[in-house]
Amino acid sequence: MASITYKNASCIYEGSDKLAVNSLNLDIQDGEFVVLVGPSGSGKSTALRMLAGLEEIDEGDIEIGGKNMKGVASKDRDIAMVFQNYALYPNKTVAENMGFALKLRGVSEAERRKKVEEAAKLLDLTEFLDRKPAKLSGGQRQRVAMGRAIVREPQVFCMDEPLSNLDAKLRVQTRTEIAALQRRLGTTTVYVTHDQVEAMTMGDRVAVLRFGELQQFASPADLYDKPANAFVAGFIGSPAMNLMTGPLASNGVKVGEDSTLELTREHLSLLHEAGLKEVTIGIRPEHLELSDNGGINVVIDLVEDLGSETYLYTHASPGVQLVARSFSRQPARLADAVALRQKAEGVVHLFHPETGARLN
Amino acid sequence: MTTATTEKTAAKIDSGPVRKKKTKKFSPWGVVAWIAALGFFFPVFWMVLTSFKQEGDAATSPPTLFFTPTLDQYDAVFNQGIGPAMLNSVFATGLSTIIVLLLGVPAAFALSLRPVRRTQDALFFFMSTKMLPIVAVILPLYVIVSNVGLLDNIWALVILYTAMNLPIAVWMMRSFFLEVPGELLEAASLDGASLWRSVREVILPLVSPGIAATALICVIFAWNEFFFAVNLTAVNAQTMPVYLVGFIAGEGQYWAVLSAAATMAALPVMLCGWFAQNKLVRGLSFGAIK
Amino acid sequence: MTLTADTEADAGQNAMAERVRKIREAQDLGVSRAEGWRRRGPLLPALIFMIVVTQVPFLFTLYYSTLSWNLVRPGSRQFVGLDNYIAVVNDSQFWSVALNTVILIIGVVLVSAFFGLLLALLLDRAFFGRGVVRTLLITPFLVTPVAAALIWKTTILDPTNGILNWLLSLVGVGPVDWIGQFPLTMVMVELIWQWTPFMMLLILAGLQSMPRDQLEAGQVDGAGAFQLFRELTLPHLRRFIELGVVLGAIYLVNTFDAIYMMTQGGPGIASANLPFYIYQRAFLGFDMGQAAAMGVVVVIFTIVIANFALRLIFKSFSGKEEAA
Repeated sequence: MASITYKNASCIYEGSDKLAVNSLNLDIQDGEFVVLVGPSGSGKSTALRMLAGLEEIDEGDIEIGGKNMKGVASKDRDIAMVFQNYALYPNKTVAENMGFALKLRGVSEAERRKKVEEAAKLLDLTEFLDRKPAKLSGGQRQRVAMGRAIVREPQVFCMDEPLSNLDAKLRVQTRTEIAALQRRLGTTTVYVTHDQVEAMTMGDRVAVLRFGELQQFASPADLYDKPANAFVAGFIGSPAMNLMTGPLASNGVKVGEDSTLELTREHLSLLHEAGLKEVTIGIRPEHLELSDNGGINVVIDLVEDLGSETYLYTHASPGVQLVARSFSRQPARLADAVALRQKAEGVVHLFHPETGARLN
Repeated sequence: MTTATTEKTAAKIDSGPVRKKKTKKFSPWGVVAWIAALGFFFPVFWMVLTSFKQEGDAATSPPTLFFTPTLDQYDAVFNQGIGPAMLNSVFATGLSTIIVLLLGVPAAFALSLRPVRRTQDALFFFMSTKMLPIVAVILPLYVIVSNVGLLDNIWALVILYTAMNLPIAVWMMRSFFLEVPGELLEAASLDGASLWRSVREVILPLVSPGIAATALICVIFAWNEFFFAVNLTAVNAQTMPVYLVGFIAGEGQYWAVLSAAATMAALPVMLCGWFAQNKLVRGLSFGAIK
Repeated sequence: MTLTADTEADAGQNAMAERVRKIREAQDLGVSRAEGWRRRGPLLPALIFMIVVTQVPFLFTLYYSTLSWNLVRPGSRQFVGLDNYIAVVNDSQFWSVALNTVILIIGVVLVSAFFGLLLALLLDRAFFGRGVVRTLLITPFLVTPVAAALIWKTTILDPTNGILNWLLSLVGVGPVDWIGQFPLTMVMVELIWQWTPFMMLLILAGLQSMPRDQLEAGQVDGAGAFQLFRELTLPHLRRFIELGVVLGAIYLVNTFDAIYMMTQGGPGIASANLPFYIYQRAFLGFDMGQAAAMGVVVVIFTIVIANFALRLIFKSFSGKEEAA
């Protein structure tokens, strides 16, 4: 159990002049489940590997439990890692795989067996203890990888996209199991994924990374309701938030050819004070509804009926696309010209048109 | 109709994983392949066959196919001193292969899993030594070996065979080491294993089939080697290939005993080659091709 | 507004480049000398062994090639500079033997590559007993070369009782003294027999590494079997065939066993190649200086081929297989 601190930590890509991780600052509490999320190339895996000691800390520091980890070898950091491809030892049985770290530490065989059996029961692996990894399915191997990490009772768990090789159904099931397990064990966990759904459902707090830089580090709810910039706004949530940039008009923002999205007076004066002539607006699909008395004029491109809800994919003009959510079954048909308006309880996010930073 | 299809799909799911049937079908090209194989194999077959004949049956025209087999030729060969030659070959081949592994495995390891900055250069150097025509160094080697007093001494061959096989061995084993996923080493190091421990418990077990294949290929090349052996040995240290020289003109038309000697010389290595078949390509192409 | 944005971006990039540079400097110093030697350590025994056993003798060869030195006339060793080389260039026998070597290498390599390709194509499909066939086919390569040469010379090629002549007599062709009349050609035939399996294995590896879905895509597009072979398979195989040809050439430069056992280079030097000729000059004629000079010439000759080989192996095959 330990807290983790990244202090301006950076790491260079091998053989390149670009920083994979650029001055990362994270303050992770003891027992927290933190998810690092971002598109590929965002540096999230590298940041995790820096923590585990598999990548050099080129600049800055990383502390675990207050102790600086610079120069400390992986094997001395008391960290357990679950790899994306599991990295199970092919020539050892499941039991030997799980007990390897304990064996290295000189734990007695009886003690080892006890701990391995406990972990196996927790993960439903008891009948596989004498098998070798080659004879296991993907899901079973994944659990062995988790078991190997649990048995060690380390101060930190690192998980590098452990679910990406599982099929969709298994992924959902295992996701809940991992979250429950972590809550039960209370070990500080850093979890890397590119799937924002995993991030939102599993993490106590989520760090969004892009091109090696931290975009926002907050709870899932905060990320969803108050994204710090346009990138986070567009990354979190599915379908993505509608983002459009348009010039300011007297009562709002011009959208598409001939429509205006009205803004409140507070928003308008905020924008005037900032001296902006344009602004990037963000509205989530669930905050738009079909209007019968004006709004943004759009043409329906696609109607996706998911059974529980319907998504309307529309465009206001070429290049300005809007997605709206509806709960009726057949709200409109293809190529219909309709109008969308902001729901009464809807929220508008304002971002700087160039930097993307949040304005309101 | 829908019920029928659901039944069928249900049956498919229940029957477990679908296995591809190995079609042992009769194909005309298969026949051609068999003919080619028998043709290529024929001289070897004939050699072994002749070794069981009496001299009278051996050199005849038309060739004798049916005869009463005898072990007389093998008897004669053993009495004519094949024993020492065999021992010399076994000694030179075995010892040089062991030394090759002792030197080569660490070298291959250094060149693959913990690459140094000059890795390419080192590999280049190893390969270039293999491409050096040995005829260009036989003279000074002869002079050096004779000055050191190792002429007609099996140890000279041990050293030279080690040098001959080391490049191929390093290349082959390096290609096997490269197949080990890097993550395994990382996992072991996180589990608390020192480098030495990781190598012993994780890497070596994975690489051991490759090391075995490398050893077999070194055995093949060392056993068959003739040039160094014929120039640097005389009577005491002669290996099997050198022993066969005695059968050229001297024995005239004593083909049966000659075949027996040739079979004895060739058999060990043929067996090694048959066992290492799958990895042979790697050895021959300097580990470039799997 | 655009101007300030640009310079801001530039300033940002410069600062970044500066940081990266500082990090790299620290890295270079960081990898301690001890760690560097620890990594190089396991490599050293093998490296040193090879340098001592192979490079040192070659330096001696260079030295000997500048001497006039005949073992039969002790005390006659003296430095003569490049005289040996001049003698070599003027030695018509040397050139005739060099020509033999080239003919031998090219002939054996090309013919065995051709047969190797045919055999590899046959072995690429599944049929009954394919494993056994492959085992039978690689045997010639495994047989001890001197043993093989001996068997060919006696049981197969002998004018009176050899099998070849017996087979030919069945179709009425008179007995031919193969080794007497066609010494170089017979050596080449024996070598082709021994080396075809090598080529076959390399090309087979190439065939089996060919991504099947490429062929399937071609079939769906309407290509016939021959077209598929010409357009898809052959280009893929090219680098394997090239590797086989180049490696074969390098191994064959040194070929000695077959000539020693079958013809002893004769009649005269009709079937001698460079290694055999040099061997004769050194160990039968005891002319060390000349032999050394010839050895150096062979090395230069080999370096040319080796260049192609090394470039092929490093360029085409280093790293992973290229994506389909």
